[in-house]
Amino acid sequence: MKVTPDIIKEEFIGLEAEVVASRHPGYVGIRGRVIDETRNMFVIEHEGRRKMVPKAVCTFHFTFPDGTVVEIEGRLLVGRPEDRLKKRIKRLW
Amino acid sequence: MSRTERAIALRRIRRLFQLALEVAKQDLALADRYVEIARRIAMRARIRMPREYKRLICKGCKRLLLPGLTCRVRLQPRREPHVAITCLRCGHVFRMPIKGRKDRERLMAEKEARATRRARGRWLSRRGPKAP
Repeated sequence: MKVTPDIIKEEFIGLEAEVVASRHPGYVGIRGRVIDETRNMFVIEHEGRRKMVPKAVCTFHFTFPDGTVVEIEGRLLVGRPEDRLKKRIKRLW
Repeated sequence: MSRTERAIALRRIRRLFQLALEVAKQDLALADRYVEIARRIAMRARIRMPREYKRLICKGCKRLLLPGLTCRVRLQPRREPHVAITCLRCGHVFRMPIKGRKDRERLMAEKEARATRRARGRWLSRRGPKAP
C-alpha cells in the first residue's frame, strides 16, 4: 500500500493498532483491534478489554490489511471519522 | 470533494459494512455503530450508498437490517406484487415492488417451491421418525 498524506482519511476501525508513544506513559503498549472511534478517542480492544485511548497525546502504529505498518501521530487524526474525510492539508512537520 | 476522496469514502463504506456484518452476531450495537459511521461518510462525501448496502439499512431507524436476525423478508404476491422487509426492531416496513413479468414469475416460483418443501417436511414429520 502506498503511504501518502491521504492516509489520514482512511478507515482505522478494524485495523490492528499499537500505542508506541504517549505523553501519558500508561497508554504506551496498548495494542489490539480498533473497535470504535470518536472525535478524540480510539477504542482499542486490548487483551479482551476495550480501552479508550485519546488520539491527541499518542503515537500509533497501524497495521493495514495488506500488512503495511504505518506510524501516525494521533494529533493528525483528531476529528470525527466522517470529518477526517474532508480535505485537510497538513503542514505540521 | 476530489475523486480520490470519493474513492476513499466508498472504500471506507465497504469496509465498515463488511465489519458490521462480521460483528453483528456478537455485538449488534457495534454493528449499528458501523452502519451509522458508514452513512455519515456517505452523506459527508455526497456519494450514493451503494444499492447492496442501502438495502441493509432500515429506512425507519437507520440500523442494520439482517435477514433472519433484525428483519423479516416476505414476498407479497397479491395486487401489486412486492417484497416486504419488516425491521424487527422498529417495525418499519419497506416495500420493494417486483417489476416486470419475468421477475415476478421467478420470485413466485421460488416461493411456491419453498412452500412445497415445507409441506413435504410436515408430511414427513407426521409419519414419525425414520426407521433405523
